[in-house]
Amino acid sequence: MPISGIVLTCLAAKVDDVALRLAAFDGVEVHGVMPDGQIVAVVEADTVQGEVDIVSQLHDVEDVITVRLAYHNFEDV
Amino acid sequence: MGLTRRDFLKASAAAAAFAATGAAVLKPKLVEAADSGIKWGKAPCRFCGTGCGVLVGVKDGRIVATKGDPAAPVNRGLNCIKGYFLSKILYGKDRLTKPLIRKGDKMVEASWEEAMTLIAGKFKEAIEKHGPDSVAIYGSGQWTVFEGYAASKLFKGGIGTNNVEPNARLCMASAVTGFMTTFASDEPMGVYDDLDIGDTYFLWGANMAECHPVLFSRMIDNRLKNPNVKIIDFGTRRTRTSQMADQYIKFAPQTDLALLNAIAHVIVKEKLYDENFIKKHVVFKKGKTNIGNGLEDKFKFADDPKPMTFDEYKDFLKEYTPEYASRLSGVPAEKIVEMARLYADKKRKVNSLWTMGFNQHTRGTWVNNLVYNVHLLTGKICRPGENPMSLTGQPSACGTAREVGTFTHRLPADMVVTNPEHRAIAAKIWGIDVKKIPEKPTYNAIEMFRALDRGDIKVVWTQVTNPFQSLPNLNRFRKGARKGDGRFVIVSDMYPTKSTEVADVILPSASWVEKEGVFGNAERRTQQWYKMVEPPGEARNDLTQTIDLARRLGHGNLFPYKYVEKEIWEEYRQFTVGGKDLAPYEAYTKARGLRWPVVNGKETLYRYAEGYDPYVKAGEGIKFYKNKKDDGRAVIWARPYEPAAEAPDKSYPFWLCTGRVLEHWHTGTMTGRVPELKRAYPAAVCEMHPDDAKKLGIKNLQKVKISSRRGTIILPVDLNGRGKAEKGNIFVAFFDETKLINELCIDAYCPISGEPDYKKCAVKVEKA
Repeated sequence: MPISGIVLTCLAAKVDDVALRLAAFDGVEVHGVMPDGQIVAVVEADTVQGEVDIVSQLHDVEDVITVRLAYHNFEDV
Repeated sequence: MGLTRRDFLKASAAAAAFAATGAAVLKPKLVEAADSGIKWGKAPCRFCGTGCGVLVGVKDGRIVATKGDPAAPVNRGLNCIKGYFLSKILYGKDRLTKPLIRKGDKMVEASWEEAMTLIAGKFKEAIEKHGPDSVAIYGSGQWTVFEGYAASKLFKGGIGTNNVEPNARLCMASAVTGFMTTFASDEPMGVYDDLDIGDTYFLWGANMAECHPVLFSRMIDNRLKNPNVKIIDFGTRRTRTSQMADQYIKFAPQTDLALLNAIAHVIVKEKLYDENFIKKHVVFKKGKTNIGNGLEDKFKFADDPKPMTFDEYKDFLKEYTPEYASRLSGVPAEKIVEMARLYADKKRKVNSLWTMGFNQHTRGTWVNNLVYNVHLLTGKICRPGENPMSLTGQPSACGTAREVGTFTHRLPADMVVTNPEHRAIAAKIWGIDVKKIPEKPTYNAIEMFRALDRGDIKVVWTQVTNPFQSLPNLNRFRKGARKGDGRFVIVSDMYPTKSTEVADVILPSASWVEKEGVFGNAERRTQQWYKMVEPPGEARNDLTQTIDLARRLGHGNLFPYKYVEKEIWEEYRQFTVGGKDLAPYEAYTKARGLRWPVVNGKETLYRYAEGYDPYVKAGEGIKFYKNKKDDGRAVIWARPYEPAAEAPDKSYPFWLCTGRVLEHWHTGTMTGRVPELKRAYPAAVCEMHPDDAKKLGIKNLQKVKISSRRGTIILPVDLNGRGKAEKGNIFVAFFDETKLINELCIDAYCPISGEPDYKKCAVKVEKA
């Protein structure tokens, strides 16, 4: 199963709300919420396709401004 | 409960993300465990011209992981969504692994020896019968520096033809001629740091959110920290970028020329210009007008610049009142005044950013000149946080196509074949008789494929590009390639494409970290990487392929190298000393890229600026020293508004604009191989305004027939897509090889740059 580490940004005032919205997604674990509006999350899915589907949806989550990829491991794919 | 490898990997994923946010790494021991058995190497990303740093993880000869490179100043540990597919592009199921030779309608596997013997034979035959200008090489801004250099040296210095062009002619040529005519040196004065420290950003027809997401994120991060930051999106189509901008200002296609002149008009009328800067650093010029659109074969144009005074320039601007520009563009006159004042606001650090909206334009050079005019009038240039910046689309459009100079008229490092001194310098470095390099340029990219269609070019070799999908007026060129009568097309690529379909020989190529390379990005940053994995089957580096041909044509003496990449670099570097100044090869093996000029081991942030640029003397402040003929000053050009080559009319009432989407890169040769991306954005659609659709009785996702004077295509209409067409406009992305939208595009080009206009032609839309 591929695993990726991502960083999302939103307005600092919205960061807790956004983190809650992200946590509701299957395959998304929120690992860190920074006071400046950055959120660290780990995405897991059965396939890379699944990961990309999740990340594409995260782009559209209310108040999310950017979604970027820090780490991607797919050694057993 | 023991920890599994999965736990280690999760920790590693989180740690990399934390590191990118600037937070401390948690659980470093787990990260270490996750990394066991993985060997990491650095490389620039394979996709766009941003030049993000990537760490590539290899285990048992295969790429198993990638990271945004935390040490890379461009992207600081984060990649865009295309980062998910960086390695997968190497592992598509239909990778080409053996040379293929056409036998009738079939492509048959062959040995390299057989394929190269055939190719060399065709080259020799054409040269003997029709002269050296009957053979050509067409490469790309995805060529490594070495590959581009070897191609230029072989064709210009060995075979003796200037038939060398890159696909960058289709994407960056107007930026180059804009820089050359205004500053007499290619490539920007500013750097990406301006995205972090400026406060006002004008985007002109650039969908940065989708096409340069990492740079867009830097600008957005800046705005999150600084509420004073303003982003203005001037566009002909509402995009993801428009949604994020503070203001989206729609304008009618082609009227950017009038808008920029009107902005200059207001700046002059309200005396908002920087008089001191103008006196010291600027001259005024005008060139020819009504310059044509390059639609006829063998079109030729030479500008005839004439000096003018500031007062004469002011007279030229008189006509461009906000009201006049408003009538043409649809932008309210008061909005134009507001934007001019924003550009000139002395308290603001102003940047302009653009890509294909300006460059793919029948007046692409002019519109580049016009945006520089505004920065030169206001003196907002060559200073930290305020610069005009042309963004690039390919990873080495700058490093290879522009700096190595793989264009028909160019030699390395801003030199040109028409200049006898430049030819002499090149001949000396190449160790050849100066007479070998022809003094006349031959064909720009469009003219090259017109020449193939006519039969003036017989043999063409394309490398790392897909012209038979990406050229405008595509039907003509696809048919031309298969006309026979001695025509012979060689295509080197990693996958089957629309270009391999018309090839006589297909050569399988190594890609990205399957070879050693150097790319140069849009902020003058040169980045090196080593080979990390083997290419599949018998695939070979394009560099090896070119040198193989050289040997077979008797030009092996031009390539006497042992460590080919390093020795080519050091040879090429001689061209750059005292100007673009590239560093010794070793410097790049360690650094996360260096921005030229690199003098005494130090990179340059701001060109032409004292304290930054080593060529600007103490006390000079700013010096456009490359423009020697105008005494080190930049040129403000009087360039008028002229209409597009083809505008909508009764029969063809819509503007067609083409472009890219986030998930796919260019013609989709690589990204189309990745099933995930195919699914995210599987096929081209026609973006249309709901009011236009209603008038035509077309419902969302219904199929429509789109026709221009050159071709027809059937596509579903998308009224709720990510991009929103303005009334009277439609937009279609060009990645989909099953729907060749470029068949509809017109092959009109900017007479100065030779770059075609993919953003404007007239089409009609009917229910299919």
